[in-house]
Amino acid sequence: MSAALQDLLPLIWTGAITGCLYAIGALGLVMIFKATRVVNFAHGNMAGLAAFVVYAFTAHSGGIGWLAAVAVALAIVVALALVTYGVLARVSERSDLRGTIGTLGIGLILQGATQVVFGADIVNLDLPVPRWGTSVAGLRITSYDVAVLVVTALVVATLFLVIERTRLGIAFRAVSTNPFASRVCGLNLFAVQGVAWGTAAGLGVIAALLIVPTTFLSSTTVATFMLQSFAAAVLGGFSSLPGSILGGLVVGIAMNLFSYFVSPELNSTFLLVLILTALNLFPGGILPQRGGGSRA
Amino acid sequence: MPDGMSVAEARPGARARSLGALPRDGLLLVLLAIVPSMLGGFWIYGIGVCMANAVAVLSVSFLLRYGGEVSIGQSFFLALGAYCVAMMEREVGVSVVVSLPVAAVVGVVLGLAFAWPSRALSGIYLAVATMALALAVPELILLLGPVAGGYEGLYVSRAPLVGVSVDLQRYYLPLVALAAVVLLLAHFRRSRQGLALLTARDHPRAAEAFGFSRGYARLAAFAISAGIAAIGGALLAFAASTVSPNSYTLWTAIYLLVGSVVSLGSLGLFGALVGGAFITLVPQVLASWGDWVPILYGLALLVVVVLGDRPAEALTKLRKRLAGGRGG
Repeated sequence: MSAALQDLLPLIWTGAITGCLYAIGALGLVMIFKATRVVNFAHGNMAGLAAFVVYAFTAHSGGIGWLAAVAVALAIVVALALVTYGVLARVSERSDLRGTIGTLGIGLILQGATQVVFGADIVNLDLPVPRWGTSVAGLRITSYDVAVLVVTALVVATLFLVIERTRLGIAFRAVSTNPFASRVCGLNLFAVQGVAWGTAAGLGVIAALLIVPTTFLSSTTVATFMLQSFAAAVLGGFSSLPGSILGGLVVGIAMNLFSYFVSPELNSTFLLVLILTALNLFPGGILPQRGGGSRA
Repeated sequence: MPDGMSVAEARPGARARSLGALPRDGLLLVLLAIVPSMLGGFWIYGIGVCMANAVAVLSVSFLLRYGGEVSIGQSFFLALGAYCVAMMEREVGVSVVVSLPVAAVVGVVLGLAFAWPSRALSGIYLAVATMALALAVPELILLLGPVAGGYEGLYVSRAPLVGVSVDLQRYYLPLVALAAVVLLLAHFRRSRQGLALLTARDHPRAAEAFGFSRGYARLAAFAISAGIAAIGGALLAFAASTVSPNSYTLWTAIYLLVGSVVSLGSLGLFGALVGGAFITLVPQVLASWGDWVPILYGLALLVVVVLGDRPAEALTKLRKRLAGGRGG
């Protein structure tokens, strides 16, 4: 039993690290949902495309630097997100589900485009951080773990500072609470919603770049990874930003424990059970907020 | 039942249209019935699979129409029906004629089993839950072990009739089943239960006042949809003669939604065939352009979603745009 307990701490640690990435992905999904009532099923495909762009610009000799490549990828993805928002904005005003189906269409297009442009190759894309590792109380902590934690902390802190303290953040909260009233008050709905889409796409890129080093990059890796973010967002109630962070950590840790102690081959089934159980126990998500998704 | 009336009025001419569609559907059926005598084996196979997929598309459209919900987990029930046929042939030695009704019943039961814990969910929550359901399909099939044939899957070779060409049976069974499902759906639209489901979708409170709760409506719509999907899966297994875990992924479910959206959510014969053909024939015709298939599907989905406020208007718009091009 003590052997199992000895395994427990590292499992929770690595689960929490992955959970941070799920959380960053989920934050983007929730931002888009809060601003426009659309669930962006293209989130993973957009981020996957960005990862490939970074790879294309850095892999070969004579490429531009890593940061420059990330900047290019961010610019492309933010532009894509704004186009998506532009196409679906009027549609989603009429019905939530219609806009959501539309994002599935965007996702399919981006998925196909990634395959057409970059082929079905499987490549490696590492973070430009020195390899380093240390042991603290039986925990192996690597430079990758530290990078993920630092980036997550920065992202979350910035996001909450902007949303809580700036005029833009107030506008975002106003629009997500009552779009009509905010328009009456003279807010530029399109600008605020566009910023939300762009920011969310950028968060997706960050999550993608951080997850790819642990596996490999193929045309479906990031989209598959982002599915866990959907679960995280649902656990958090889909309209609560703190909830999505908590949801990400819960999903990350729970899935890690499950695949170690029960079976790694039933991960998706476990995710399904987790979603259904959580939604029955906490109908409004772990941290419920007003203005959630439509419910029966 | 005033609200039942308003539901009927919400789609003016629904009855007239369904009657008006009868000669056209009859013509379509006759055309489909004589196809094998005119076209080669490739087309007999292809159209057979089309018709099986059309039934699967109907299951998505049904849920959309009667439940008002989007499912991207329909591949689960498709796989259920398909493996029901394949495994019953392998273990019991019965043909699809025996296993298809079993598949339908199992589909309904498991549809209820999924709908019960998710009865309180709707909209995006249900969409994400069904997505998780679709993701679990391949690993659940593998969990069954050697009985389900593992990664390679199983062959479906036993034909119901002895002495008749198997290829023809693989064509005509889906045809007969598709016609039967469409006919049943047309009857369901006019039935008490059908009207009640539509009322519960459009005016939940009014429906509850009539003693018809939203939760019950959700369970009913989901169970029927799952049953239709299982029938579609059973037909698909028989028409394509093989089942494997790779055929039932999240993509399968998304493509079924594409088929349903492209058919404008139609529950009729023509619409279902357009949807089925779109998701069956496009990948075959574009076999050497494989990577472009998702792009084409995505564009089709977007076009319909952006243009289609109402099916009829969208269809007129599409027809204008295609300038009299083939519908499917």
